[in-house]
Amino acid sequence: MGGSRERISAWFAQGIGWANRGWHPYAIAIAYLALGTAMVYTSPRSLVGFLVFASSALLIYYIRLDKSAKLGLGILIALVLVPILGVRNIFYLETIFQISVFAALALGLNIVVGFAGLLDLGYVAFYAVGAYLWAIFGSQQLYLLEAIPGTANPDTPFFLPAGAFYLFIFLGVGLAALTGILLGLPVLRLRGDYLAIVTLGFGEVIRVLANNLDKPINLTNGPQGISPIQRPPLPQPLLDGLNAVLKPVVGHNISQGEFYNLFFYLAALAVILVVILVVHRLDDSNIGRAWTAIREDETAAIAMGVPLVRMKLAAFAAGASFAGAMGVLFAASRTFVSPESFSFMQSIGVLSMVILGGLGSIPGVIVGAAVVVILNLQVLQGLSLYLSELRQSDAVIPIINFAWKNLSTQLDPAKYQRMLFGLILILMMIYRPAGLIPAERRKRELRSENNVNLDDDNQASPSSHAEEAHNAG
Amino acid sequence: MRRVFNSQTIREILRPLGQIVVFVTASGVVLSLLILLLALLLRGSAADQATIERNGMDIFTYTLVNLPQVLIDGVTIGFVYAAIALGYTMVYGVLEFINFAHSEIFAIGAFVGVEALIFLESAGMLSGASNLSAYLWLILAILLGMIAAGSVAILVEMSAYRPLRHAPRLVPLISAIGVSFFLQDAIRLIESLTTGQFHRIIPTFGNFDERFSLASIPYLGTNINLDIQVKSVWVIFAAILMLVGLNYLVNATKLGKAIRSVAQDQATASLMGINVNRIISLTFLIGGALGGAAGVLYALKFTRIDPFVGFFPGIKAFTAAVLGGIGNITGALLGGIVLGMLETFAGSYLNVFTVGAFGAEYKDILAFGILILVLIFRPSGLLGEQVGQKA
Amino acid sequence: MPDDQVLLQATGVTKRFGGLIAVNKMDFSIKKGQILSIIGPNGAGKTTFFNTLTGIYRPEEGEIRFQGTMLVGKRSDQIAALGISRTFQNIRLFGNMTVIENILVGMFTRLKQNAWGAISRNKAFLEEEALAHQKAMTLMEFVGLRGVGDELARNLPYGVQRRIEIARALASDPKLLLLDEPTAGMNPHETQEAMRLFRRLRDELGITILLIEHDMRVVMGISEGVSVMDYGQKIAEGTPEEIRNNPRVIEAYLGREAIATILDGSSEAS
Repeated sequence: MGGSRERISAWFAQGIGWANRGWHPYAIAIAYLALGTAMVYTSPRSLVGFLVFASSALLIYYIRLDKSAKLGLGILIALVLVPILGVRNIFYLETIFQISVFAALALGLNIVVGFAGLLDLGYVAFYAVGAYLWAIFGSQQLYLLEAIPGTANPDTPFFLPAGAFYLFIFLGVGLAALTGILLGLPVLRLRGDYLAIVTLGFGEVIRVLANNLDKPINLTNGPQGISPIQRPPLPQPLLDGLNAVLKPVVGHNISQGEFYNLFFYLAALAVILVVILVVHRLDDSNIGRAWTAIREDETAAIAMGVPLVRMKLAAFAAGASFAGAMGVLFAASRTFVSPESFSFMQSIGVLSMVILGGLGSIPGVIVGAAVVVILNLQVLQGLSLYLSELRQSDAVIPIINFAWKNLSTQLDPAKYQRMLFGLILILMMIYRPAGLIPAERRKRELRSENNVNLDDDNQASPSSHAEEAHNAG
Repeated sequence: MRRVFNSQTIREILRPLGQIVVFVTASGVVLSLLILLLALLLRGSAADQATIERNGMDIFTYTLVNLPQVLIDGVTIGFVYAAIALGYTMVYGVLEFINFAHSEIFAIGAFVGVEALIFLESAGMLSGASNLSAYLWLILAILLGMIAAGSVAILVEMSAYRPLRHAPRLVPLISAIGVSFFLQDAIRLIESLTTGQFHRIIPTFGNFDERFSLASIPYLGTNINLDIQVKSVWVIFAAILMLVGLNYLVNATKLGKAIRSVAQDQATASLMGINVNRIISLTFLIGGALGGAAGVLYALKFTRIDPFVGFFPGIKAFTAAVLGGIGNITGALLGGIVLGMLETFAGSYLNVFTVGAFGAEYKDILAFGILILVLIFRPSGLLGEQVGQKA
Repeated sequence: MPDDQVLLQATGVTKRFGGLIAVNKMDFSIKKGQILSIIGPNGAGKTTFFNTLTGIYRPEEGEIRFQGTMLVGKRSDQIAALGISRTFQNIRLFGNMTVIENILVGMFTRLKQNAWGAISRNKAFLEEEALAHQKAMTLMEFVGLRGVGDELARNLPYGVQRRIEIARALASDPKLLLLDEPTAGMNPHETQEAMRLFRRLRDELGITILLIEHDMRVVMGISEGVSVMDYGQKIAEGTPEEIRNNPRVIEAYLGREAIATILDGSSEAS
């Protein structure tokens, strides 16, 4: 057994070596991407095609290409292929949009949980703050403060022009950060597990407030939520121009709704890029190092002069601010917000993405978000669809003689997200706590200095340590 | 028989009973005085006007007339919280770990108990059952709930917590959150597959819905009625029994001594020949069984359950445990009673006192407010740590 | 006014845990440029005393002054910023950070960069980072480490970790360095090297050093003064030579019976 396993792994290593040699990686990456694109383009309903397409991004990330080549292919995927394929099959655009929204949220939460090691179980509260900010100002709600929910006159004018959306992205960032600081100030002294429960409580408080602030004045319209919320104006000439270019490729006239989907996808992408840039750069500075130090050992960190509460507040505020921006975006993209979107389950969903991908790992968290969203939207919903087809058929499970017809209609896999999140959290904690793509520390010392070893003789070679670290992770 | 009832036994039974009386009386009196004072201060305000319009009596009279019922309801729910809080506090005392899935252990107890009663009803055992046999069936349901919840608690500990016992503190907590979510959907899945629905309602049987009238005091033309539902009596009685029993187990038996020593120092306890893993399993069993019983009692009191029924009672019971001093059994009792009372007061009077601006819905987040305040100003709780204090 | 030369002065410092008095009316002072040791049996309160000095515990009574500044009530990070740095008895490195990053964390209070500088990568930030990086390399060199800068701290052997901890403590340019059992677990050869290093810290960098130490060769070999703690109190103080012959010290270490046989009851009071 052992021998064959070794042979397989040797063969595998050889394969990887071949794939990464010379021009091979370029050919492989382009061929794989082209295959995925062609599959999705020709059969828009194929899950396999979608997975091939989505995983091509991972392949490009891992395979040995020039930095510029990776960047070029990434831009090609994000700005050309996804929009075209997405407009061709709007369901994929929805999936990709959700991936980008949750990737941005997960990257924000990752600052708090992954870098600073603070377990925040109420993260969507900050998302809610951003969403309700634009929902209240970007709708008719401020003219309806005296109205009983459900009795509003639909002809009420909007409070602000739609263009204010762009300003409110920044206001959302500010307000969410402020909320984060206000919550953090009293509670960040608490020990980790208490902090977790308190943030959970905060998340619930925000949700209950959203649910009940329809009285004494109707600020949130209660459980019914606020609708319609304005979207930012898109200039008509731009739409026409895009239509002229895209129509021949996607094969139909692109509606305004589809353009909006594209727009919000690109906006979420922009937020993600900002998050990555900020997080990546902070990570390699005094602030990021202080966060990691706090996560590793609070006592040692404070003894080295790291001000705990201030740095934790910074992490909290940074994480919250990105959620605030995404909230504004979310409210506009859906034109509707209600307290339901900001439940505890959503917070845990985002947490499970971070845990699945790898705490503190930027590529990991993005992959985590993608996997969870795909599982949610494609796999669970696909299963639901399949089951409902089975229910309508006359099929019978052999041996136990169970007719699918009799299967309870309550059994709808799409609704079993909690089980999905729960399993992810348990299994990852037990078997792979560092996540699918564990975070790596940056190499800073010049490699050339590495050939000189310690003057100690009890020292093993650094490379073997690196291997150990890899195996341990 | 004489040797069983030695002085220590009697002391360990009487002491918690005395504490219960003191806690209930003290928190009841303090809150009543506060609310009456508040009502007095609000006389002549808009809230007063609204109350006169709606109820035909001024706000003070309204408060006073309703007070006895509020107190009884508060005590009842307080005992339910206390019983759940015991599970959190036991596990925290021994492992310094928040068993986030305890709320689902509670829900499992509720479901098993309710399903057992539904089965009995469909078998025709409940309709027309005498009061005595109804009580016996309830006890059976509670026992079944305890067994199921206790077993699941042990299983969860062995599969999802034990492998992580030496990991950093947040790792088992995240796993516990995962278990909590997993169990919610597992209950839902099993219920959906077997019964086709996941909202269950406890059958009506026996005389649980009847009300005892304890007293009726005439006051300014109306009567202050003091009555209590039979099921509330059961809830209170069963909870007291569990509290006293657990207190006895932990403080007066050899097993309790083993639990306390593991809570103090696992390594030393293990050197003294105590099987630490067994004691930890046992802690989960006891905590889980108490949670399961609380689940059946909760279903009896509030009749309708669903797979997510554990979330709020769980959070509130955890708050109760922290409020009283987590790791401390007496603290869980005190915290549960105080929180139950506060919540019932808020639920009953908030709406009236704020002229409808803030409804009873806010009572659900009251617990979080209290939790935050306690953790900031007195993290060791009202009574401080006792069982699980570590150097 | 305290003597100008006195760097740190503790008077009547008392720290209780419940009923237990871990540090009892401790008086202590250290002068600029000294190397002093605190010795005493396990549980004598030495580490607790360190923790009161560095703000991890707040003493119930007494005062601690560092260059005239009152330390009691200050947070650990503020005390570190004032120029007191430390190592820990059971090495507390940031295990999942590289060696260089560990040392850079030690520089936290000395770096002026802010979030905006880090995000915009402006000139000031880049220059400061380059300097910090260079300084980290110098510190590694100083404590005798080369080529391990990019290793994760947790993957390195014990003796190396001890040195990294010292390098990290040095990164904050401390005036006073507190070393908690720095040679514990070292073999005689390593211990010799460590002692040489401590001397160089004082002679070349001008850092005042206070050690908690069990190894008498280290205590006698490099310290200019020794304080002995037992049951939270300072029971003796003096040069290594004086301490070696102090009956109360022998008593604390060996118990009353031993002292009776050693000293035949000649010198009772001290």
